Formats: sequence, structure tokens, C-alpha cells
Amino acid sequence: MKYAQLIRLLVGRELTLRYKRSVIGIGWTLLNPVLTSLVLWYVFSFVFASKLPSGQQFAPYLMAGILLNTFFNQSLMQAAESIASNGGVLTKIYVPPQIFAISSALAGLANFFIGLFPLALVCYVSGQPLALTLPLVLVVGVALALLTAGLGLALSIMFIRFDDTRNIVNVLLLILMYITPIFYPVGIMNETMQNVIHWNPLTSYLDIFRWAFSNNATPTLFSWIYMSCWSIFALLLGTYVFKKYWPRTVAML
Amino acid sequence: MAVIEVKNLNVTYRVLMNKSSSLKELFRDAIKGKARVVDYVALEEVTFSVDKGEVVAILGRNGAGKSTLLKVLAGVLPPAKGSSKVDGKVAPMIELGAGFHPEMTGAENVLFYSALMGRDVKSVRERTPAIGEWAGVSDHMNFPLRTFSSGMVARLAFATATDEKSEVLLVDEVLSVGDSDFQAKSKARMHDLITSGAAVVLVSHDMASVKELATRAIWLENGRVKMIGNPEEVVAAYEAH
Repeated sequence: MKYAQLIRLLVGRELTLRYKRSVIGIGWTLLNPVLTSLVLWYVFSFVFASKLPSGQQFAPYLMAGILLNTFFNQSLMQAAESIASNGGVLTKIYVPPQIFAISSALAGLANFFIGLFPLALVCYVSGQPLALTLPLVLVVGVALALLTAGLGLALSIMFIRFDDTRNIVNVLLLILMYITPIFYPVGIMNETMQNVIHWNPLTSYLDIFRWAFSNNATPTLFSWIYMSCWSIFALLLGTYVFKKYWPRTVAML
Repeated sequence: MAVIEVKNLNVTYRVLMNKSSSLKELFRDAIKGKARVVDYVALEEVTFSVDKGEVVAILGRNGAGKSTLLKVLAGVLPPAKGSSKVDGKVAPMIELGAGFHPEMTGAENVLFYSALMGRDVKSVRERTPAIGEWAGVSDHMNFPLRTFSSGMVARLAFATATDEKSEVLLVDEVLSVGDSDFQAKSKARMHDLITSGAAVVLVSHDMASVKELATRAIWLENGRVKMIGNPEEVVAAYEAH
């Protein structure tokens, strides 16, 4: 593909740039989820650990949730922001703008994969073996990258046109985080909330991820179908919205 | 054969009067029925073509549509009506150094900028030391760009942008950069590129350069072609205006 080299450079830039001026540099990519998980684990293990179905471990449960949520949040915001922040390039040199959103999603995917190493360590420490279905994590990762790239493309138009979209999206992401079973077991919620959580697309991605990695959840056929539908839907939506509105939006950059 | 073919090109910018820059304001304006949309015509029925080896200069006052025309030719701005066809690899020399990042090193920026312009990363990587040397910043290539002086950044951007020949060259006032020594050097290189057989569209306010380099000139006024023809004649008419 004509733009493969550019995508590789962009992904590399995004991975290294965030922590460029810190002492341990890209090591933060490893350390960040570990530290967040440690804090939340200390706080919530008293409350929630005993509420998990038997055979499931709280520490890997929590950390898997954090990894996936970080992946979604960061790459969605970055994919949406990347096109606005590269306006200087996009108004001077012809590059398909979608490349920037795709690269952000891929950088998020790479970060996610790096985070799997500490997660494996946590599994080992809490005595939970990795599952044979491990390669399927790749499917979840790609599905989530497609989801964020698609939604990010649609959002990028909004980001350029309306300054306050960022704040609204941040609030929505916070709500989304609370209706995703990241640090609590679904079983503790009442029926209404369980329904909401069930129809939250991120729940399907997360269930499949936890199951594929270390057999720490029980996704159903519905989870797989729902996940695929959302990824495809987001991609179509993003491509459509972007194609339709970009010609009018580019003049605003 | 024409490398650049522009036919009845129209470009309009959609301007929102009392523009709502936030969703909140848009909502408010929509309720009050206040969001008025005005189409601003930047280019109107522009037609011309550029052959291989031709240098076409675009003249006109600020706001006449010169930069808009270059952006359409570069492919970053879509036409509202009409068409603009460009065959071959385009080197847009519009505000050099687009995409330069202060936290990345000089060498990394050279690579990234070249990749944006569609060049082969592998061959640019081999050429990077030569590019740095030509720009006179060899010793700094492995330091972040934020440690460069603004003159050094401009020199590196110019050296990178002009490192490779392209079939189509779009030039917006970047005939020379840097201090007086470098200016002479960059001017010579730019002249080489312009006269090397590419199809060139050149926007400049420097009438001496236009007369020296151009083989044809187009005078734009308020988005329309006012005059097109021999550079000497067009420049004379433009200056008399």
C-alpha cells in the first residue's frame, strides 16, 4: 500500500512522543496500567473480589478492564484529535486524512499489546493460567481498533467544527466507563443496570478479551456478534460521515 | 501534453455568519433561526493548462485566490464546480516544513516530511546526511528540532522539500530562505528545479522573478482570470493597474 511507510512512521511517532521528555520514556506505557491497576485493586479488592463468580480472579479481571478502557479512550480521542491537530499538514500536502485516524488507532493497539505483558504477569501471580484461546486477543484488538478509528473519523469532523465537542465527549466517555464492568462484577448490579451494561458494546469486547486471555469471563455468541456489528457499523459510519463532510470542513482548518 | 488541466474551476467557501463555533451556540442559533450561511466565492470559472516544462506564474493582490488555486492543485481543497486534473507526482512548496515536530530530531523530521510528500522512506534515509549537510545543520541532525534556531528550521525544511525532483511543482513565495549566503544557494537551487522541465505553477509578488522564470502568467482578480499570456505583458498590465 502506498501509505504504509507513512503509517509506520506516524505510529512510531505517536508511541514515542507521548513520553519523549520523561526519564523512562516508553516505559510509562508499561508502568501506567500497572500503577492504575494497583491503586484500584487496593481500593476495590475489599469490596468486589468476593463477588466474582467462582474461578475468576479479581486482579486480572480489573487490569484487563483498565487496559481495554485505556485503549478505547485514548485511541478514540487521539484519532478524533489527530485530524484537527494535523490541519497544518492537511491544508498543504495531499495525504488522505483518514491515515492519521488509522495511525492513532494502531498506536492504541500497539500500546494495548504492550500492556498484555504485565497482565500476563498479574495472571501468573494470582495463579490463573493463560488460556489456549490467547491468539483470539488479536481479534478483539483489531475489532476495537476498527471501532475507534471509525468513531474517531466521525468525531474528527465534529471536533473541527465545534470546539465544545471535546468536553461533551469526555463526559460521555466517563459515563461509558461506569456502565462498563471494569472494576465491578456485573452480578452486583440490579436488573436495569445489568441490562444497560449488557447493551453497552464495550462490555462485549471486554468479556471476549477476558475470556480469550485467561478464561476470566463467559462471553456468549451474542458478544461475538454484537462486537462484530459495532466494529463494522462504526467503520461504515466513520467513512460515510467523513466522506460527506470533509470537503466542507477542510476549509475551516 | 498538458500535465495540469484546470477547467471551469469554481471554489466556494461556506461562511457561517455569526458562526456558531460550539454545539451550544449552534443549538441556540438554530432555535432562533439565526445561523445564516453565506457562500464566499474564492475562484470563479478559472480555466488554464500547464504543459511539461512550462512555468506559469500567478499574479494578483492578497485575497485574489492565488493560494486557494494552489491548494486545489495540490489536491487538498476540493472544487465546488469544474475540475482540476494533475498528472504525476506533485511537490507542494507551500509553507515549507508542514508537519515538522519540535520534539523529534532533525533527521526524524526530514524522514517524516519526505514521507508526507510521498517519497520513498528508504532512499530518503540514505540521503538524510546529505540533506542535513546541504542545509548546514549536520551537527544538529540528532537533536530535537526545538533546539534549532528558526533559520536552521527553515533551511532544513527547504533542503528537504527541494531534495527530489517532481513532475509538478507548486511554489508559493518560497524562492529563497535563510541568511544572505543561504539565500543565494537556495535561490539557485529553486531556479534549477523550476527550469528542470517540470510543470510549474508559481505564486509570487516578486515581479523580477516572474519575468525571469515564467513562460506564461495569469493575473487573478477577485477569483477570476483577468488576463493570461506572455509574462512581460501581463506584468506590465498588472503593474499599471
